[in-house]
This record gives sequence, structure tokens and C-alpha cells, in this order.
Amino acid sequence: MSAVALPFPSQHRQVLLLALVLLLASVALLLLGVSVGSTGFESVRNMLDDAQALQIVREIRLPRTIGAWLAGALLGLAGAVAQGLFRNPLADPYLLGSASGAMLGETCALVLLGVSPLAAHWLVRIGLTSAAFAGAMLAVLLTLLLAKGVQHTLRLLLAGVVVGVVLGAVSSLILLFNPNLMQAMQSFMLGSTAFVDWTACALMASVLTVSLIAAWMMSHVLDGLALGESTAQSLGLRLPQMRVALVAVLALATGTAVAQTGLIAFVGLAAPHLVRSVVKTTHGRLIVLSSLMGAVLLMAADILARWLMAPQELPVGVLTAVLGGGYLLWLMHRHTGRGAGL
Amino acid sequence: MPDTSSVAMDSVAIDARSIRASLGNVEVLHDISLTLPAARWTSIVGPNGAGKSTLLKVLAGLLPYRGEVALLGRPLPAMRARERAQQLSWLGQNESSADDLTAYDVAMLGRLPHQAWLAPPSAQDHAAVERALHATQAWDWRGRALGQLSGGERQRVLLARALAVEAQVLLMDEPLANLDPPHQADWLRMARKLVNAGKTVVSVLHEVSFALHADELVVMAAGRVTHQGACGDATTHRALEEVFDHRIAVHQLAGQWLAVPRI
Amino acid sequence: MNILSYPLALWERVGVRAALLLFLAVAPARALQLVDDRGVTVTFAQSPQRIVSLLPSLTESVCAMDQCQRLVGIDRYSNYPESVRRLPVMGGGIDPNIEGIVALKPDVVLVATSSRATSRLEALGVKVVALEPKTHADVRRVLRKLGALLEMPDATGADRLWRIIDSSVSAAAQSLSPKAKSSRVYFEVSRGPYAAGESSFIGETLIRLGVKNVVPASLGPFPKLNPEFVVRANPDVIMIGNRSMQATVPYPGWGSIKAVREQRICVFGVNESDVVVRPGPRMAEAARIMAKCLEDKAP
Repeated sequence: MSAVALPFPSQHRQVLLLALVLLLASVALLLLGVSVGSTGFESVRNMLDDAQALQIVREIRLPRTIGAWLAGALLGLAGAVAQGLFRNPLADPYLLGSASGAMLGETCALVLLGVSPLAAHWLVRIGLTSAAFAGAMLAVLLTLLLAKGVQHTLRLLLAGVVVGVVLGAVSSLILLFNPNLMQAMQSFMLGSTAFVDWTACALMASVLTVSLIAAWMMSHVLDGLALGESTAQSLGLRLPQMRVALVAVLALATGTAVAQTGLIAFVGLAAPHLVRSVVKTTHGRLIVLSSLMGAVLLMAADILARWLMAPQELPVGVLTAVLGGGYLLWLMHRHTGRGAGL
Repeated sequence: MPDTSSVAMDSVAIDARSIRASLGNVEVLHDISLTLPAARWTSIVGPNGAGKSTLLKVLAGLLPYRGEVALLGRPLPAMRARERAQQLSWLGQNESSADDLTAYDVAMLGRLPHQAWLAPPSAQDHAAVERALHATQAWDWRGRALGQLSGGERQRVLLARALAVEAQVLLMDEPLANLDPPHQADWLRMARKLVNAGKTVVSVLHEVSFALHADELVVMAAGRVTHQGACGDATTHRALEEVFDHRIAVHQLAGQWLAVPRI
Repeated sequence: MNILSYPLALWERVGVRAALLLFLAVAPARALQLVDDRGVTVTFAQSPQRIVSLLPSLTESVCAMDQCQRLVGIDRYSNYPESVRRLPVMGGGIDPNIEGIVALKPDVVLVATSSRATSRLEALGVKVVALEPKTHADVRRVLRKLGALLEMPDATGADRLWRIIDSSVSAAAQSLSPKAKSSRVYFEVSRGPYAAGESSFIGETLIRLGVKNVVPASLGPFPKLNPEFVVRANPDVIMIGNRSMQATVPYPGWGSIKAVREQRICVFGVNESDVVVRPGPRMAEAARIMAKCLEDKAP
């Protein structure tokens, strides 16, 4: 920041405070996450004597907990970008059809695993997550094709909804003829960190870094767009190219998260709102804070999912809906008392 | 036909020739040629659907058009977007407003054309925003989110945003929307001050009496310019009355021209 | 015998016989009544001759009692025995072809209790019997009910069949070597992981085979587990019931499980997994398949 004393320091302070709180929460939840497993809560101290327990922590709990943080960060980032790009507070990262595409990719992969040994061999190599990621990317491309580019926001939204519904229907049809896959796909549809290993963490971390940097660099476009398309244009912003780049970031971040953890609802939608309820700021900081908020939200939900019914696991998507949705409801309730919109 | 002979070329802010523009499949502007003098305040008036907002957007380079538009002597297409944005500030009508940004942040967005891509706001940026917010009396609640402001307060913040660009040419579409009389008077004073400082102000106003405070008046109807002339001229007044089907009459009161309804 | 009892015994015999004849003469034709798994009593004038089955295990049960010829329609998942495959397919359990079913004019439609077609079919005047075997005890019960429906006396029908099944399962259990019997098994039903607990049908078969299931009954029949649980339990043998997990992609951290390290994983093929997963008359074969797996893969 410049040496000039900011005429508006309190906002700056609020932003820093929120970031600090979220980072501290992340560390605390990491410690908690490592302690929660199939036997419920067990202190780290007990684990130091048991080789198997340590190995479990290293190879299962640590990557899962960190993976939850990373996936939540990706979704929070994508949510902030989606809401800014579509200028719609109800936008979520799955708007461009990436969720349905990922589901279709995973469904097809599972079907092929059972039907063709050749495909199975291949699929094991590249992994089910790659199939899901490929499905997500193809769905977004299809949306862009149907909308004939990124210029018209409304067309893009509609195309995304259409692609989402159609691909979802195709998935359902495939599942109807392969009922033995229904349970596995249900697990995917409600989200789970059970499949996240260190490789997945590394992948998500790199995508998160790239996406954060790219989104932050283009955050002023989102700010301009908030004033309206014509105003943004009048401010000299090169909208077409920037929009393509933002859609690419959105698709990449969402596709990566969904491929690794399945469809986790609400994190992308709620995280930006939760940040805005605490501090009003421009998109540059909003994106970073939203990312942090999403990370903390998903991490907390994942820990609860593993803890509540140990050794059984609840689907983490149910808990994100309860946590995120519950807090949003409370916010709305508080706000309607004051008469202001959310 | 607009009278351009008395206007020297280097004191022309915007020069438009043979402009045709369409919205959807309908042609809205039919062969408009217009010269807007520099360091003067021009008001564009006309009945609903005359194409005033469309014309303003075309002059700002925000809509595709056929013909030529030159800004401060240079053709619009030849200018890079950033360069144009530094010279020309546009305030639209009913553009969506960023409810979640503070008034200060919104005004700071006006400095985007001057900021390097990833650079944080500089001291000049802060100074310009402060000046702009003071000019519209919005400084005191610069920390409040736009969504918490009334219609008039919000409009003043958006005005501040347009002012913060500190561009040579300001194009404003319905700048008085939601403003109460004191602030309407403030705006009139501010426009006059800008022009005295050498800036060019072009405003689309449907309040005809306020429009008559300007230096020049451009009268539009059905996608064509029917008259351009000084606000004090009798011919301008007659053209004005005619375009509104003689439902108004222009009179002078307290040193100002007023358009009163003819009942 | 004194003179008084002699006529009494005679009257007794004559009286009883007369009463019986009287009863048979005036009683109406015997109606067939059945209480299905929903608790609904369904009445038939005579044993149904045209049967549509919308549940694979019920299809197999009907055929197991040699009444395959009565089937006129099946669902798309019924695939055993071979002969039923040429029957018209009436959709699936959750999306049955109501029109097709009604067109076949069946005397009864056999469905699962969770079927959505029941009320629609009944409204159209088609008789519906809902039976859904979920445990070993259920299989026996359903066989008996079907036997009653098909008018096959228990002794020669359902009970006999059950005895055969039961003894085959026991035989499979006895065929296991001591080392196989002492192994600890984890059975995965679907990727998630969803496991088969002790209280599930598959779990019951494992209990009959004498092996230990790492998933206790307290977790329910098909719990969704934390993968960590399986690592801690460290089973000797892993069975994958879902053919789509053929070349299974393991969960993170499972490399340390003994069964994974030593490749003691049974993946059942397409036909085998149908047998193993369905609670029906092919239970014995399921037990044999699982026993073979244990013999092959136990440490």
C-alpha cells in the first residue's frame, strides 16, 4: 500500500482481522481434523506411541483434512468469481454445468470399469477423478458453445442451466440401467473427502494458486462489472477477453474441486455472502477472503461428517448445507429486522 | 441542420458524422451529424424514444455505429480503450449499482482508467476520489455500503464516480435522477464549475428547465437532431416547444429560462 | 366296552363324518388369501396362473419352485434362469411399464415393498403382492408365502426348497479349511465405501460360513464407513460385490492393509455378483462362491 494514510483505515483493518481469524480457524481445525477418525476423537499424544495410528494420520487424515481446506478454498473462490461475473447473488460455481458434467464423467467411467477390461485398465491409470474433471470441462465448453461465447451473461446462464439439466438427465438414465452404481454415485452427489490423497492435495494446491493469482489479477473487471456492463466498458476495461479468462478460472477451479470431492453444495454460494456480511470490500480482497471462508467452512463440515457417527461417515454435502445454510438463514433473519436487504 | 460554422475545429470536443445506430433490428439513430463544442455545457433534450441515451452511448463509444465519431480531434476507433476512458467519462442511466461496495470504493472505481493494471491506488487517486466525493457531498458517509443508501445518496456516489475520472469530457445520462432540489441545484452549479475549468459537459436531461441552464441545446426527435443552438436563443426555444408538440412554453423568470406546461 | 359307549363311538364317527359332508356340501369354493409384506390381505379366487414379477429375487423364487411357466412378464433386472430372458420386459422396479403390465392381463404382480407401481396397479384393478426378502429368514418366509400363492404344499414346495438351500449353505461352510474359516473379511458393496455389515443378508451368509466380518452388527446392514476404519480393522480378505469396481481404485492409505498388500481381494464377475448380492433362492450358490473366494485368498 502507498505511504499515504488511507482515508478509510477501518475497512482495511476489518479485512485483515477477518483474514487472520480465518487463518487461525484453519490451523485449529487442522489439528482437530487430524484427531478425528474412525474411533471419534483421539488426542495426538496417544497417537505418538502407535505406528499404525501415525500412519493413518499421515496417509489418511492429514491429506483429507488439508484436501477439505483446499477444495473449500477452490469452491469459495469460484463462488466469488461466479457471483461477480453474473452479477447475481444467487450464482454458484456450478452454474455453467460443470457439476453435471463431472457427474456424467464419473458415471461413464464407473460403467466402463464394469464393462470393458481395456477401459478399466486405462481408467485405473488416469483415475476416476480425471474422468470427472474431463466431464466438467467438456460441459463448460458445451455451455460456451451453446451461448456462442461469453458476451451475453443471460445467454450464458441459460445455456449453463440447460447443459446442467440435460447432462444430469443423461446421468440419471445411465444409472437407471446400472442400478448397482446408484449408491456410489449418491456418495459422489453428496460429496466426500474419503478419496483425497496427497496427490490430490498437490493438484488442488497448484490449481488454487494459479486460480487465485489469475482471479485476483482480474478482480478489477469484476468491480467494474458491478457498476454495469456499459459503465465497465466506459472505464476502458477489455471485457470480452477478461470474461473468457474469468470463465476459464471458474471452470478450472470448480472442475478440480468437484473431481476430487464430489458435488459439495452451498460452499460456493455461501462463502462470499458470509464474507460480505462481515466486511464490504472490492473483489480483489473478496475473492481471497471468500476462498479462506470456503476453506474453513468445508473443513469444519468434513470434521463433523467424520465425527458425528464415527465410524460411519455422513456425506459432507449435507453438513455444508446445514452449516452454511443455517448461518445464512440467521443472517437474513437479523437483516429483515433492520429492514435492509441481504 | 446544426450550425457548425462558428465553431473552430480545435475547440471541438466531439465531432459526429452521419451516425446510424440500431438497437436490435430497429434503426434508432438516422444519419445524425453533430458537433459538440469544447469547454461548453451542452444539453440534449427530446421526447421519450427520441434516441438521446443511444446517442450518448454512441458518442462514448459504447455501442456499435456506422459513421464517424472523433473525440478531441481523434477518431474513436483509433484510440485504445484505456486512452479513451481517460479522456471521456460516461454516467449511464439505471445501470446496476454495486450494493456491496462502499461509497469510497465505488468512487475509486472511477480511477480505473488511470491505474496501472495491478497497482494499488496512488496518492493522486485518493486525492481525486476525495475531491469527487466532496463535490457531491458524499464524503461523510464514504464508508457506508451502497445498498444502505437512499436513491439520492446513491446517485451522488455514482456522480462522484464519474467525476473521479477527471476526464476532459463528461457525458451524463439523467444525472439528476432521484436527486432532491438542493442537490439538483448543487449539480447545476457543479456542471457550471466544470465548464469554467475547461471541461466539456454533455447531459441528457428530461427536466427541460434544468436543461435550459446549459450553454447549448441539442433538440432530438425520432432519431434525428432537429435543432442545435444556444440556450438563450429564441429559435432554440421555438424548436424546443415544437418538439414537445407545443405542450410547453418557455418563459424567463428570475434570470433563468423555464419551460412551463401549457395546459 | 359297555353297552352305552358302543353307540356313542358309533354316533361319534357317523356324526363327525356327516358334519364333514354337510360342511363340504354347503361351503363356498375355497378362496386363496395371502397377507403380503405390506400387511395387505390379497384374495384370489384361484391360484394365479399369469404372473408378472418386478423383482429379480421373486422371479428366481418362482422358478425355483418349478413354476416358471406361470411367468408372463419380468423386470429388466431379472436375468435368471435363462428361460425368463425371452419374456417381455416391463421396465424396472422404480420405473415400471404400467400400460404393458395391464395389457398382459396378469392374475398377480409381484413387487418389492418399495415399489412405486403398487397403488397405480391396484387402482387399475390388478392384484399386487409385495414381498421383499432382505435377510435369510426373509427368504424362507417369502418362499413359504409364494408357495401358498402358487398352491404348492409347504412340505413339497417351500420347505423342501429351503431344506435344500440350507443344507447346501452348510455344506459350503463345512468345505472351508480351518485357515479359511479363521479369516477376517471385509465386504464392500459400493464405492463410498459402503460395506455389508453383519446384519445384512451378505453378512448373514458370512456368519453361516463361519468367518468374521470386520463390520459389526451395531453399524447397521449397509453403513457408509470411514475408510480409516477398514485400515484399523486390517481384514485378511476383501470381497468386492460390485462388478463395477473390478480393477478397484483403492482409497488413500489402504496400501498398508494386509489384504491389499498381499492381493487378497476377490472381485466377483458380472454373473457372480448378481448371485452374491441378491437375497433369493440362489443363496447356496452365493455361499459357494464366497467359500471359493475364501479358499483361494485366505492367508
